[in-house]
Amino acid sequence: MSDAILTARGICKDYRDGDRVAHVLRGIDLTVERGEFVAVMGPSGCGKTTLLNVLGLMARPTSADVLLVDGADCLSLSDRGRTTVRRERIGFVFQRFNLLRTISARGNIDLALQLRGAALDGQAARVLREVGLEECVHRKPGHLSMGEQQRVAIARAVACRPAIVLADEPTGNLDSANTQLVIDLFRRFHDAYGLTVIMITHDAGCASAADRILHMKDGMLEPVE
Amino acid sequence: MKAAGGAGSVVGGEFVLLGGWGFTGDLTLLRLPVANLLHHKLRTALCAAAVGIGVAMMVVQLSLSHGTLNEVAQRMESVDAELIVLPRHANVIFQGGAIFPDTYVELIESAALEGEPVVAKAIPVFLDTVRLGGQQQRLFGIDPADMDGFLGSRRLRQGDLFPGGRAFKQRIEQLRGNSRRYDPERVTSDEVRRACELIIDTRLARVGGYSVGDVTEVFGQRFRIVGVVEAGVAGRVFAPIQTIRHILNGGVPWSSMFFVKLRDPGQAEVVADALARKLNANVELKTQYGSLLRDSFSQVYTYINVASAVALAVCFLFIMLTMYTLILERTREIGILKSLGATKRYVMAIVVWESVLVCSAGTVFGILLAYGIRVVIEATMPLQTVDIQWRWLVLAVAVGLVGGAISALYPGYRAARLDPAAALSFE
Ligand SMILES: Nc1ncnc2c1ncn2[C@@H]1O[C@H](COP(=O)(O)OP(=O)(O)OP(=O)(O)O)[C@@H](O)[C@H]1O
Ligand SMILES: [Mg+2]
Repeated sequence: MSDAILTARGICKDYRDGDRVAHVLRGIDLTVERGEFVAVMGPSGCGKTTLLNVLGLMARPTSADVLLVDGADCLSLSDRGRTTVRRERIGFVFQRFNLLRTISARGNIDLALQLRGAALDGQAARVLREVGLEECVHRKPGHLSMGEQQRVAIARAVACRPAIVLADEPTGNLDSANTQLVIDLFRRFHDAYGLTVIMITHDAGCASAADRILHMKDGMLEPVE
Repeated sequence: MKAAGGAGSVVGGEFVLLGGWGFTGDLTLLRLPVANLLHHKLRTALCAAAVGIGVAMMVVQLSLSHGTLNEVAQRMESVDAELIVLPRHANVIFQGGAIFPDTYVELIESAALEGEPVVAKAIPVFLDTVRLGGQQQRLFGIDPADMDGFLGSRRLRQGDLFPGGRAFKQRIEQLRGNSRRYDPERVTSDEVRRACELIIDTRLARVGGYSVGDVTEVFGQRFRIVGVVEAGVAGRVFAPIQTIRHILNGGVPWSSMFFVKLRDPGQAEVVADALARKLNANVELKTQYGSLLRDSFSQVYTYINVASAVALAVCFLFIMLTMYTLILERTREIGILKSLGATKRYVMAIVVWESVLVCSAGTVFGILLAYGIRVVIEATMPLQTVDIQWRWLVLAVAVGLVGGAISALYPGYRAARLDPAAALSFE
C-alpha cells in the first residue's frame, strides 16, 4: 500500500475571459508519495503555475474528481477549511521570492510560524542557520541578494514543517551558482527530513535532482523517461 | 490552546486569537502593521497629521466654547446668593438695561413661605456693555455696599471699592429724602464725575494693561479705574449702580436683574418656584446659570459640533482613501499572507490595526497640538478660556480609535476578499 501525500484526479481548470474559455488544465491525474521529490517541466504557458495554485489550494479547480492533500478532502472544504489546510500542510516557494519587504528575514519566518500558532522558540534562527544565513537574520529582503532572498523563502516554507512544499520555478531568477545552492537545499531537506517537494522548473539540470520528472503538455501531465 | 474559536483550525489555537480583533497579549498581530507604518514614515506622518489636525480642531473648539461659557457661569456662581431673577422670556445673553423698577426689591424681599420670610436680601444689578480690553464686556452696575457679596473670598488687589460711588449714593439718598425719585438736575456734573468709577478684574487689567488711576470713556463720561479685584468675580467690570442709573436712566432706580440671597439656602428650589409665580419673572438657581447659558448658545454649539464633525469626517475619509490605496499597492503582500495561510479575518485585522495605530498616533499628536493651540489662544486672546477637560480628551481618543477602525473596514474587507492566486501574480 503506497503512502500518497497528494492525490489529484481529473483536475480541470478553465479561465473565462468574456466569451473565450481557455482550458488550461484538462484532466490532471497526479499522485505524489510522502517524501517524494517531483519535478514538473513544460513549455511556458502550459499551465504549470495554475496547477500549483490548484494543488496548493490558492485557486479552485473548475472541476475535479479527487483532491486529497495529506488526507484532507480539499474538494469538499469551505474557503476557511482550505485556508487551514494551506496554512498547516503546505509551504510555497516562488520564482519571485515573495518575502514581506517591511520585516526582516527572521520576521518573515516568525510571521509564518505565528500564523500557524507555533511558539517562537528560536525555530526561525535554526532554519536560517540551516540555509546558511545566520548572518542575515535581521536584514530586510531589500538588503539581501536574490539568492539569499530565495534561501530565506525556502527557510520560511520549511520552518513550519509542512507536509508538502510547492515550488514554482524557484531558480528562475537566479544565476547558476545560486541555482545550485537552492537545488542543494531542496535536496538536503528532502533527504534529511523526508520533505515532499513538487518543483516546477525549466532547467533540466535542476529537474535531474528530483526523484521523478513529469512533463506537462496541453494541460495534461505525462512522465518523462 | 489559549482559546477556542471559529477559525476551524486544529493546530492554530493561538492563531484563532491572532485572527480575532483583540490583543493576543504578545502583540504578534501588531508586528506587521507596525513594520509597515515604520517602513513608510512620511506617509505615516502625513496620515497621523491629518487625524491630529481634525482631533485638535475638535478638542479646541469644544474646550474653547465650553470653557468660555463655563468661566462665565462659574463667575456668576461666585456671588454670595442663591437665586437669579431675570426678565421673563429673556435670553441669558440679553443686553441688560432698565427692566425691573425698584419696587421689585420689596416684592422679592417680602416673599414668604407659610408666613415665614425667606429672603435675606435682593441685590439689584444694572447690566450694560462697555468696550474694554479690545472687546465688549458686560458692565455690572451694583450698589457699592453689595461689593463684598460679589467679592466673596477674592481680594481687592489694587485701589479701593468705589470711594466716589459711596459718596454719590449718600448724596442721592439725601436728595431723595422720603420719595423714590430725586431731581437729576440738582446733581452737579462735578459730583457725577467723581462717581464715574470702575472696578475691573485682574484678567482684564492684564489684557488691557489697565491699572488704578487709568481713565476710559464710557457712556460719554470719563470713568476712572479705582480698583482691581482678583479674577473669578461675577463681572469683569463693575460700576456704582447709582452712577449708571443717573447717566443712563435719569436717576430712576430700575434694575436689569437681581441676585437673591436666602435665609436658608436649602430652600432655594421652593423659593425659586414661589418667586417665579409671585414676580411673573424668570427665577433660576444660581447653579443653573451654566445650563441656561448653554441653552442660549445652543445654536452656536450646533454649529461647532457640525463643524467638528465635518472636519473629522474629512480626516477619516483621508485615512480611508489612504488605506484603500495601500491595499491596492499591497495586493501582492496580501497574496503572500494568504499563501502562508492567513485567514480573511487576519488580513482584515492587519489592515484595521494599521489604521488604528496611525490614528492613535494622530490622536496623541492632535491632543498635543490642542495644548499648543491653547497656549497660542491664551497668549493672543487672554479673555478666552480654553478649558481642555478630561471628557474632551476621552472623546478625542474614542473618536480617533473608532474612526480609525471604521475607515479601515471597507479597505480591509476588500483586502480580505482578494483572490489569493490573483493577488500573488499582481504586478
Ligand atoms: N488569471 C488568469 N486569467 C486568464 N488566463 C490565465 C490566468 N492565469 C493564467 N492564465 C493563462 O493560463 C495559461 C497557463 O498559465 P500558467 O501561468 O499556469 O502557465 P505556466 O505554465 O506557469 O507558464 P510559465 O512557465 O510562463 O510560468 C496561460 O496561457 C495564461 O495566459
Ligand atoms: Mg508559471
